[in-house]
Amino acid sequence: MAVQQLDVDNVIEARREYNAGLASLDKGKRVWQFPVLLLLVLALFPLVQVMDGYNYVLHLMLYTFMYVAMASSWNILGGYTGYISLGHNVFFCIGGYFSGMILAYFGVSTLITAPLAGLAAAAVGFVIGSVTLKMRGPTFIISSIALLMVARILFDNWHFVGGSNGITLPQLELDAQWMKIPYYYAFLVIAALTVWTSYKIKHSKFGLGLRAISQDEVKAESAGINTRLYKVSAFAISAFFVGMAGAVWGEYLTYIRPNIFLIILVAANLVLMCILGGKGTVAGPIVGAILLIAFNELSVVYLGSSELNILGTGVVMLLALMFFPTGIIGTLAAKKKLPRFLDWD
Amino acid sequence: MPELLEVRDVVAGYGRGPAILTGTSLTVRPGQVQCIIGPNGAGKSTLLKAISGLLPVRSGEIRFEGERIDGMRPDQILRKGICFVPQERALFPRMSVRENLRMGGYVIDDKKVLESRIEEVLQQFPILRERAHQRAGTMSGGQQQMLAMARTLIVKPKIVMLDEPSLGLAPKIVQQMFEIMHMLKDRGMTVILVEQNAIMGLNNSTWGAVLDLGKTLFEGPAPEVLADPRIKELYLGKAKAAA
Amino acid sequence: MSNVIQIVILGLALGGVYALMASGLTLIFGVMRIVNLAHPVLIIAGAFVTFWLFRLYGVDPILAMPVAAIALFCIGVILYKLIFEKEAASAKYSEMTVLLTFAVAMIFDGLLGWLFTNTQRVTTPSYATDAIFIGDIFIPTGQLYAGIASLVVIGLLLLFLQYTRFGYAIRATTQNRAAAQLMGVNVGLVSLITFGIGIGLAGAAGSLVSFIFSFFPAKHWEWIAILMSLVVLGGMGKLGGVIAGSLILSVIAAFVGAYIGSTWSTMTFFLALFVILLVRPQGLFGDKIEEA
Repeated sequence: MAVQQLDVDNVIEARREYNAGLASLDKGKRVWQFPVLLLLVLALFPLVQVMDGYNYVLHLMLYTFMYVAMASSWNILGGYTGYISLGHNVFFCIGGYFSGMILAYFGVSTLITAPLAGLAAAAVGFVIGSVTLKMRGPTFIISSIALLMVARILFDNWHFVGGSNGITLPQLELDAQWMKIPYYYAFLVIAALTVWTSYKIKHSKFGLGLRAISQDEVKAESAGINTRLYKVSAFAISAFFVGMAGAVWGEYLTYIRPNIFLIILVAANLVLMCILGGKGTVAGPIVGAILLIAFNELSVVYLGSSELNILGTGVVMLLALMFFPTGIIGTLAAKKKLPRFLDWD
Repeated sequence: MPELLEVRDVVAGYGRGPAILTGTSLTVRPGQVQCIIGPNGAGKSTLLKAISGLLPVRSGEIRFEGERIDGMRPDQILRKGICFVPQERALFPRMSVRENLRMGGYVIDDKKVLESRIEEVLQQFPILRERAHQRAGTMSGGQQQMLAMARTLIVKPKIVMLDEPSLGLAPKIVQQMFEIMHMLKDRGMTVILVEQNAIMGLNNSTWGAVLDLGKTLFEGPAPEVLADPRIKELYLGKAKAAA
Repeated sequence: MSNVIQIVILGLALGGVYALMASGLTLIFGVMRIVNLAHPVLIIAGAFVTFWLFRLYGVDPILAMPVAAIALFCIGVILYKLIFEKEAASAKYSEMTVLLTFAVAMIFDGLLGWLFTNTQRVTTPSYATDAIFIGDIFIPTGQLYAGIASLVVIGLLLLFLQYTRFGYAIRATTQNRAAAQLMGVNVGLVSLITFGIGIGLAGAAGSLVSFIFSFFPAKHWEWIAILMSLVVLGGMGKLGGVIAGSLILSVIAAFVGAYIGSTWSTMTFFLALFVILLVRPQGLFGDKIEEA
């Protein structure tokens, strides 16, 4: 058998090159001007209301901000850490009820108590996560659905908070023309905070640990990462912003009821937004939220009935999963076609 | 006349990840005990998985007795006559030894033939006969390896591929493993062996191949490979430290 | 005392139906590690098939079981071929498949809702409203027949798995997929057929559901949590486990319903789930898994 050319130095050199080639490429400078500009524009937007008639647009926008916040928040657990929660709106509910009850009994606006509501949700998240995150993926998902059902039954039967009829909340004393503006800013601030936190986490040691967990938890554990603490913290953090959003949403709607918070369609929306946009990216949930809400609005206009809406959402989700599993941002990034202004990672 | 197994310029990797095998070639002749050595991550297990059909081949060819088998399913390749014992041994932990042997003969349609072969195997391996009804998952590492290798005798393949059979076993047991391997060879099987412990592997083989950086860099009779100074420096030095 | 026996019998009958509903789910998980969130909505699809056969042609729901089963088997095979087969080699397999089944659930929810609207339906064979008396124990025949039918089907399933060559292949694939492949099992085909069988079982369960519960497309969300809890409880992938778990829990839930209140009887399943996760995460009969 012929003996091939085997030069010791060649092999060692080739090996070094090969290993270097496997190292990831460095990213260029990040574009921070675009997000800041966007924020500025959005902050100034309500001035149009001076001319009145933009209430619907304002509503749509604050609704979008809320979902941006919730989807980005979900992304911390689902996208960065890889644990898919299909019952995340439990925290939406906890936040809503926490602040809602304070508002109903003490008259303190949720705009002030929202952070506390967030903390309450985070605390619950921490406790629940300690139990349910012991499990691998599939069982965790199931426990999140079960959690949603449990919460639904509990809240439906808890007379102190009004059971399934819920409680009506007092409105802010403002003209119809300015009604939506405080909430607009509240949700804008919450959304901005969430996205900023998401970005910070992604570029921190914590975020790196989360990513390790999502790829291979056993290896992460053996690398010295306290996976338990990391996972549960991620769960709590992702509950925090969702809780805040719930608090403000309750006051905005002027009533709190189990069936506005605890329906599985809300959970589905969160998941779908992150999938459409790009799980595990910073900008993904934002893009996904905008797209899905736009899609919903359009389909309500053209398709009307809610069954077709559900069908449509399911089809969109299926197609996205089958053909663009990394979402819009992910797919563009993989093809190196991501416009700089969207690359917030 | 076509060789028994010919691997030509095979490129393969896991999922959408980078290619681990970057153009590997190998020729296997009947009756050989071929030992493949190389550093971690070089692609030794990947090569065996590609041959057995567990991993798709991105480019290149694999021919068994002249017929192309790359692209076939693992069960089809087994029926052609290539049996693979992976690192994890592929046993059914909740099935007994006897049931594992029976499962090993899944492709044998004739029940009588299957039963007689199971009896043969149990006869040759008294330790397995003792534990015929014991659950495979409760046996020691060495016994499991014995079962995995004995199971190949049920199906009597032309080629048997062993991925690091000595992994995790005590030195005395490792010796027993190699004895079983020689028995397989005496039964007419050609053996392809991947061994991390290069010296021991080559000592028990007739032919050696060095796999590094996703390619076969060197092939030759095992004693020659063992003795070659370049091989010693690059690969056996490490093995010496590990052994 | 007779009250207790009555509750136990009702619990067992209902447990049998839940077991049938969950059996396909655990089978699919065992072979393919897919958590099929679309299972309950496909059960409802089976219920609809049965309902229309009853309404239009007067076919008895229990006799309609084979029809619903075959119809859903075909749907299952098509779904697997179109959607899940290509995921088989993907790295993020379990994540992807859960989301895929979630999407499929929404699609069928919307589809059934659009085709048949969300009005509550129920088939009304005569035995659904009848009852028999044994001594002073009162047993509604609807639940009783449903329970018996479930256990018969489950029995057939167990026989199939234990004594046929294909059943053997299914069991091997469930225990160790890679090993089964290396022994000569065509695991791709096994997955495809098993998925079909699992959905077929859902169809059969749907026939029974059609006269025990009133159903409408959106009802599947309620069942997802219950069935999933049963699967986890029994040990994911363990058919025997899910049967035992369903029977035991349903009896407990029946007692809870009778003595505490019917809203709380569904809670029993979820509480049991969390307790099991705390105490014995692999389920009653599951294999010890490494901690996540």
